[in-house]
Amino acid sequence: MQNAITLRRRRELITAAILLVLLIVLPLPFHDPYTRNLMILTLLYAALAQSWNILGGTCGQISLGHSLYFGVGAYVSTLLFVWHGVPPWLGMWAAALVAGLLALLVGWPCFRLSGHYYAIATVVVQEIAYLLFLNWDYIGGASGVYVPFHGQSWMNLQFRTAKLPYFYVMLGFFALTWIAAWLIEGSRWGFSWRAVKDDVIAARSLGVRVFPSKMAAAAISGGLTGIGGAIFAQFVGYIDPDSILSGPLSILIALPAVLGGVGTLWGPLLGAAVLIPLRELSSTFLGSSGSGVDLMLYGALIMVVALLRPQGLVSLFQRGGNGSTS
Amino acid sequence: MTFDQIMQVALSGLLMGLIYALVAAGLSLIFGLMDVVNFAHGELMMVAMYAAFTLWQVSGLDPMIMLPLVALLMFGIGMAVYRLLIARALAVRFNKGMVQIFVTFGLAIFIRGAAQMVFGGEFRAVTGTVLADRSWHLGGVFLPWPQLAAGVVCLLAFGGLYLVGRTEFGRALEATREDRDAVALIGIDRDRIFSLGWGLGAATLGVAGVMLAGFYYVSPNVGANFALIAYVTVALGGFGSLMGALVAGLLIGEVEAVTAQLLEPSLKQVGMFAIYLAVLMFRPRGLFGKI
Amino acid sequence: MKRLGLLATAAALALSVAPAFAADDVIIGVIYPLTGNSAPVGLDAKAAYDVTADIINGTHAPLPMLMGKGGGLDKLGGAKIKLVYADSQNDPQKARAEAERLVTQEHAVAVIGAYTSATAATISQVTDRYEIPFLNADSTSPSLSQRGLKWYFRTTPHDEMFSQAMFKFFADEGAKTGHKVTKIALFHEDSLFGTDSSNVQLKLAADAKIDVAADVKYRANSPSLSAEAQKLKAADPDVILPSSYTSDAILIMKAMKEIGYTPKAVMAQAAGFQESGFLVGVGPLSEGVFSRSSFALDAVKSRPAIEPVNALYKAKNNKDLNDNTSRQVTGLVVLADAINRAGSTKAEAIRTALIATNVPGNQTIMPWAGVKFDENGQNIEGTPVIQQVSGGTYHTVWPEDVATQPAVWNVGK
Repeated sequence: MQNAITLRRRRELITAAILLVLLIVLPLPFHDPYTRNLMILTLLYAALAQSWNILGGTCGQISLGHSLYFGVGAYVSTLLFVWHGVPPWLGMWAAALVAGLLALLVGWPCFRLSGHYYAIATVVVQEIAYLLFLNWDYIGGASGVYVPFHGQSWMNLQFRTAKLPYFYVMLGFFALTWIAAWLIEGSRWGFSWRAVKDDVIAARSLGVRVFPSKMAAAAISGGLTGIGGAIFAQFVGYIDPDSILSGPLSILIALPAVLGGVGTLWGPLLGAAVLIPLRELSSTFLGSSGSGVDLMLYGALIMVVALLRPQGLVSLFQRGGNGSTS
Repeated sequence: MTFDQIMQVALSGLLMGLIYALVAAGLSLIFGLMDVVNFAHGELMMVAMYAAFTLWQVSGLDPMIMLPLVALLMFGIGMAVYRLLIARALAVRFNKGMVQIFVTFGLAIFIRGAAQMVFGGEFRAVTGTVLADRSWHLGGVFLPWPQLAAGVVCLLAFGGLYLVGRTEFGRALEATREDRDAVALIGIDRDRIFSLGWGLGAATLGVAGVMLAGFYYVSPNVGANFALIAYVTVALGGFGSLMGALVAGLLIGEVEAVTAQLLEPSLKQVGMFAIYLAVLMFRPRGLFGKI
Repeated sequence: MKRLGLLATAAALALSVAPAFAADDVIIGVIYPLTGNSAPVGLDAKAAYDVTADIINGTHAPLPMLMGKGGGLDKLGGAKIKLVYADSQNDPQKARAEAERLVTQEHAVAVIGAYTSATAATISQVTDRYEIPFLNADSTSPSLSQRGLKWYFRTTPHDEMFSQAMFKFFADEGAKTGHKVTKIALFHEDSLFGTDSSNVQLKLAADAKIDVAADVKYRANSPSLSAEAQKLKAADPDVILPSSYTSDAILIMKAMKEIGYTPKAVMAQAAGFQESGFLVGVGPLSEGVFSRSSFALDAVKSRPAIEPVNALYKAKNNKDLNDNTSRQVTGLVVLADAINRAGSTKAEAIRTALIATNVPGNQTIMPWAGVKFDENGQNIEGTPVIQQVSGGTYHTVWPEDVATQPAVWNVGK
C-alpha cells in the first residue's frame, strides 16, 4: 500500500514538472495581449480554485464566500503599496497573513455548523465584509483604490503593456498552491480528513482530532487566496468592493474545482482551463450584441458539464473513472 | 422619534418580513424539505414576475387576478426543471451536493440570459392597478396596500403549505427526503413525489412573483436582489421547518428595519446577516431546524 | 473593338489618378456594459453611436452640426468611421481587457466609453499605456480627470459641475420667488456614483449655508426603500437631492408615496431619474421632479440639429434622445472631428487635434457653451441645464436663455 502511494505521488510530481515546463513555454508563441490575458486569468482562477479546494475539496468544508479572502488580501497589499510604498512582493505576504487570520476567525465559530448552514454562513460573512468595505470611507469605500503607475518595475510588479511578467508571476502562484495541495494531501492532515469524510464517527473513535486540522486548512486556503488578491490588484490597477468582494466571484473561485473534480489535485487546473476561456470568449464574441446569448451559452455549458461529469473532468483522464484521490 | 415614527418603522419591518417569508416559502419546500439546493431560486421568481407583467400588459387585468394562471405556469416549469435537470443531478453517484449547486447555478445564468434576450434589459413596472401606490392610513402610520396584500397572501400560502404537509403527499415528501430506499419499499416513487414537490415550490414562487410585481420593478436581474435573503431566511428558520421560514422572515424584516434606523440605511443588511450568525452560534440548526 | 480598348485604357487612367488614400475604415473601439444591470444604458448607447456613425459616414442632406454633412472624414479621403463594440460587463477587469483587445487586435485608433466611472478608470489606464486617445463621453466622477493622464479626454461635465448648477438654480429661484432653499436632504446609493455626488453636494451646501437635514446613504437594489423614505419624511427638507439609478429611482418615488409623503421638491442627479423606464414606471409620481441634465431636448430653437438627430435616433430605438445618449452622440462627433482635423490616424496627431478642439455650442446638439478641453482633458465649456417633469416629460427650466417654460417651485408653500 505504502509503495503504491509513494509511486502515485512520485508520478504526480513528474507530471507536475512536465506541466510546468509546458506552461512556461505556452504563452511564447502568442503575442497578442488578449490571449495572454486569458492565460493569466485562467492560471489565476486555477490557483484560487486550488486554494479553495484545500478547504472545500480535501477537507470537505464548502465555502461559498471565499472572495472574502481574495478581497481582503487585495486591499491589504494594495493599501500598503499605495500608502506606504511597500512592494507587492512583501505586501502579498502581509495579505496572506491577514487573510489567513481572518479564515481562522471565521472558521472557529462556523466549523461546527453542518453542510448547508456552513455554506450560507460563509456567504453571509463575505456579504457583511462587502458592506463594511463599501461604507468604509477611510480605505476608499465605494470609490475603491486606484493604483497609480510608477513606471515599469519588477519590484512594484507594474509593467506598461507587457503581459508575460504577469503570466510568470501567476504561474509561480499556481505552482505554490499546487505544491501546498500536494503536500497537504500526503500529510497526516490529509489522511485524517479523508478518514473524516468517509465516516466522522469512526474517525473520531480512532482519535482523529478534526478541528485543529480544519483550522489549519482554513488558514492555508484563506492565506493563499489572499496572495491571489494581492497579485490581481497589481495586474488590474484598480480595486473596489464590487469587483473583489462579490458573491459571484466567490462562486467563480469554487467553480473550476467543482467542474474539474473536487478534492483532486488536477481538478482546479482542468476546470479553470475549460471554464475561464469559455466564459471570456463567449462574452467577447457573443456579448457585444447585448442579447444575452453569451450568458445562455455559458449557463448551458455549466449545466451540461456538471451533469455529464459529476466527478469532475479529471475523471476523463483516469482509468476506472475514479474521480477521488482517497 | 415620535410614537408614530416608531410604529411606522416596526410595522413596515414586519410587512417586509412577510414578503421575505413569501419569497422564501418555495425555497423552504425545495431546499428545506427536499434538501435539494436551488441556486436558481431568484431567477425562477424573476420568470414569474415577467409572466405576471406580460399577462398584465396583454390583458390589462390586475396581476392578482392572474395569480392562478401564473401559479399553474410555474408549477409546470418547476416540474420540468426537476425532470430535466434536478432528477439527473440527484442520480449522480459522486459529489451530489456540488452537482446540485452548479447545475442550478448554470440554470440561473441561463435563465437570466434568456430573459435579457426575450424582454431586453429595460426596467418594467406594472402601473395603474387598483392597489398601486395606495396606502392604508392607520393613525399616523401608512401601510401600502400592495405590500399588505402580499402579506396576507403570504400567511395564506404558509397556511396552505402547512395543510399540504399534513396530507399524504406532504408526509410522503418528508419521508422521501429522509430515506428514499425505504419509501420505495412502500411504493412511493421518489421522482414523482419530488417533481410534484418542485412544482409546488415553483408555484409558491409564482405567487410571490405576482404579488411582488404589484409594487416592485421587473428586470432580468431582479431575482438577485431577493435570492440571498431567501436563503438566509430558510437557513435561519431551520431546514425542514416551514414555519421556521415564516418566523425567520419576520425576524429578518424587523431587524433590517431597525438597523436602518439605528445605523445607516446602507448597512441595514449587516443587521440581518449578523442576526443569522448570532442565532446559529446558539442554535446550529437554525431556530426550528429538524435536520 | 479598338474603341472598347481605348475606353478601357481611359478608365484605367482615370482610376489610377484617383486619390492615393484608399478610403480605409477608421476603427473606433466602443466599450459599454452590454449585459447585466446596466445593459439598458449600454444598448441605448450602442444605438446612439450607430446613428451617429451613420450621420458621419452617410450620404444625406447636411445636418446643422459638426460632422453633420456626412460622406465620411473628408480630410482622410472620405474614410468611414467603423465602430467595434465590446462588453465591459460593468467589471473594471473586463473593461481593461477589452480595451486592450480593441487597441491591439482590432487596431482601434481611439476608444470611446464607458458610462460607469469604475470601468472608465481602468480603460483610461490602458489607453494611456498604449498611448491611444480615450474619449470619455459620459462618466461623471470628478476624480477621473484628476489623475494626470495624457490621453484622457472627457466631453461630459462631471458631478461637481452638475451639482454647482443645482445650487445656482436654487439661489436663482430663491431670489426670483422669495422662497429660498434653507434645508435639503441627500439620498444617494452606496456606489462610486452616489458617494462622489453626495460629497460634492455636502460641500456646496456648506458653502451656501444650507442645512443638510438628512444624509441618507442607501444600499443599491434593495428589496425595499421604505426605511429610507421614512428618514426623508422625518427630515422634511425643502429639496431632496437623490443620486440613484433607475431601479432605486422608481422604488423611492413609490416608497415616499406609500408612506404618505409628498416632497416639496426633488432635484435629481439625472442617471436613473432621466431614464424612460423611470418615467413610465412611476407615472404621475414623477410630476414636478427636477433633474440636472447635460441635454435639453426642447432647445430646438437654439440647437437646430436636435430635431433631425432625434428623429433618426427615435426611428432606430423607439425613444427620444436623453441625457446619456445625447452625450454619446456628442462624444463621437467630437472624436471624429478631431481625427478628421488631424488628417491622420496616428495617435499623436489625433491627440494634438483633440487638445486644439474648440467647438461652439451651436454646432452641437447640447445646450453647452461649447467643447474645449483643459490641461486635464476635461471639457470646461459643458454647461448643464436644469429640467423639470411636466406632463410626463422633462422640460428645460434653467438657465433663462434655454428655458422653455418657468419652473414650478413649491418650496416655502
